[in-house]
Amino acid sequence: MSEVFDGYERHYCEISASLSRKCTSAAHLDGEKKKQKVSEIKTGLDDAENLIRKMDLEARSLQPSVKAGLLAKLREYKSDLNNLKSELKRITTPNPTQASREELLESGKADMIAVSADQRGRLLMSTERLNQSTDRIKEGRRTMLETEELGVSILQDLHQQRQSLLHAHSTLHGVDDNIGKSRKILTTMSRRMDRNKWIIGGIMVALVLAILVILYFKLTH
Amino acid sequence: MADQTAKGEEFEKKAEKKLAGWGIFGSKYDDAAELFDKAANCFKLAKNWDRAGSVYIKLANCHLKLDSKHEAASAYVDAANCYKKISVQDASQSLSQAVKLFLEIGRLNMAARYCKELGELYEQEQNLKKAMDYFEQAADLFQSEEVTTSANQCKQKVAQFAAQLEQYPKAIEIYEAIARHSINNTLLKYGVKGILLNAGICQLCKNDVVAVTNALERYQELDPTFSGTREYKLLADLADSMDEGDVVKFTNALQEYDSMTRLDPWKTTLLLRVKNAIKAKEEEDDDLT
Repeated sequence: MSEVFDGYERHYCEISASLSRKCTSAAHLDGEKKKQKVSEIKTGLDDAENLIRKMDLEARSLQPSVKAGLLAKLREYKSDLNNLKSELKRITTPNPTQASREELLESGKADMIAVSADQRGRLLMSTERLNQSTDRIKEGRRTMLETEELGVSILQDLHQQRQSLLHAHSTLHGVDDNIGKSRKILTTMSRRMDRNKWIIGGIMVALVLAILVILYFKLTH
Repeated sequence: MADQTAKGEEFEKKAEKKLAGWGIFGSKYDDAAELFDKAANCFKLAKNWDRAGSVYIKLANCHLKLDSKHEAASAYVDAANCYKKISVQDASQSLSQAVKLFLEIGRLNMAARYCKELGELYEQEQNLKKAMDYFEQAADLFQSEEVTTSANQCKQKVAQFAAQLEQYPKAIEIYEAIARHSINNTLLKYGVKGILLNAGICQLCKNDVVAVTNALERYQELDPTFSGTREYKLLADLADSMDEGDVVKFTNALQEYDSMTRLDPWKTTLLLRVKNAIKAKEEEDDDLT
């Protein structure tokens, strides 16, 4: 039976040790964290109180011989608990100026939850916007690469056209030379034609003259 | 358009009559040719490609008899254009005849151009071997005419088909030669990284990791700016993943590159081959262990 009591006792010792530690640490903090610690300590105190009540019941249900010793221990624990409670009270109300200051700033506490929710929302929004910018930059890079490819193919086409233009240029030079040559040939041809015409004309005239001479001699004889 | 067909037929009949009969001064071929030309024109207007093509071929025959090969060749080209709309076979036939004639006349430029067209026709038909032959011929002809850009373009196509037909060393040689040539040219040097990427992919397909790393170093020397490009990064990643036999890394590198610029179908086919090779090697290793 006393095993149960021992178990409770050990549990209580643990809790009181942690509570005293928390009290000392909470004394150094203030504001939000302090309130957190204070609430933690309060829950711890409630647990400890429950334990003490259970220990009390256990002790009373035991043998009178053991009962006395256990009850004494229980009284010690109760006083310990009371110390902790007063410690807590001391922390929560250290001095009037601090208290009024806390009260002044406490009015912002309700907003703070909203503020933290607001901060969270803003952070989400900025993350969202950063993602959007990343996407836009990627899209822009993709377009730039496509443009680069297009530019490369245009350059290739230009190169080809340059070569065909150069080729056409040299061909035209050739054509120019050939035209000059053909002009010369044509002039020679026309000159020769003229010469032939004159020669034939001359021969015709000579023949006609010869015929006339012969006729003249024939008729006069 | 039915009247066009009728007109065309009329012209054709007149031309045939001229050919059959005895013309004066042997000018019958000239007149016949003129009439054939008009007939073919009418058929083209009537969209009667088959008859137009056949008339053009008859026209070419006339010109051949007149010994004007140039005209004959042009007629063959016109015939091919008409046949392209209906049957690729006939078109390629007429084009090859045209090419032969041009070669005889010595107009290598035009011959090369039509060779290229032939190659493209065969490419459409997916007859890669013949297409490759024609493109090679075209590239040689262009080279002899010192029209290097067209030559390079044809050679690129040759390399593409060679890689598709798994003749990797040939493809690599061609790509490297083109790259070396393009670097010296201010206009073409921006396209070099694309060419080197293609060459690199062919190297990967050969499944020889050492050669790939050597090649990458060589390309570095060729083009100092290559190492900064995404193409180089992609090739290095692919080589590493091939070395380690890690298919996931391979796919990741490809996805990253693809998110920026889409991979065209040729590259996709070759890279798929490489990926399958890596997977097969991985499975092989697993079997051995």
